Amino acid sequence: MIEPLTYAVVGLAGILCVLAVVYAAKDRLIDDLLLAITGLIELGLVVLLVGGLVGIGHITDGAERATFIAYLVSLPVILVGTAFLAIKEKSRWAMGSIAIGAFAVAVMSARLLQIWNFYG
Amino acid sequence: MADTSRRALGGPGVLLVVVYGVLALAATGRSVLQISEYFARAPLAYLLSAFAAVVYILATWCLAKGGRWVRVGVVACTVELAGVLVVGLASYLDRAAFPDKTVWSHFGQGYGLVPLVLPVLGLLWFRKVERDAVAAERLRHDDGADPAAPEG
Repeated sequence: MIEPLTYAVVGLAGILCVLAVVYAAKDRLIDDLLLAITGLIELGLVVLLVGGLVGIGHITDGAERATFIAYLVSLPVILVGTAFLAIKEKSRWAMGSIAIGAFAVAVMSARLLQIWNFYG
Repeated sequence: MADTSRRALGGPGVLLVVVYGVLALAATGRSVLQISEYFARAPLAYLLSAFAAVVYILATWCLAKGGRWVRVGVVACTVELAGVLVVGLASYLDRAAFPDKTVWSHFGQGYGLVPLVLPVLGLLWFRKVERDAVAAERLRHDDGADPAAPEG
């Protein structure tokens, strides 16, 4: 379950990142489409958080487990923060912040999967 | 009324807040677990990384709030820059004390060198905010007592 879900999250975060850059270039503000994608990613991240914590036992190395838990818990916070900023601060810079947040989510999710599969 | 002239969140400041926020989050989460799960492995490195996490949280707060926090932010960014340089160098000189990559060790390589670049950007941004505020104050003085500035 973890693997396909993480791929979906990474893919959606990639799409959100590209869209946010396009929006910034066109000087468009956050709209329902961006919020909907953000919502979908958030949903996926919350399911990942629960699934990851349930299956945490199989990651035997302490350092890797620490990173895994830290990322699992941090991930859902990021896009909530950037979406909040984009609604509050209506400028193309805020679109840039969504792009950076989405990029961070994609990278951190990919890293999660890497750790998860290493102990697969 | 808060000091609205030193607003740090506008424009590129939003980007800095996000990058700082993500770094603060990653550093905090990791160091909490490092300290709680296997502190004995590298006490110095983990304590430094916890300290770094606190400074990142402070810098994020200063960027978001602006106003009088701008000065605190300058101190926070300076500490970060000094930290990443000193700890970065130390981690190459004494590899045993820094077995894992932490935020500041190896000049922040574990975090894509972001910890090395970020305080510089932060300092530049805080300087711009401060300069703009000073310029705006000077302009207000030059305009004299008339509070209604001409539009446009």
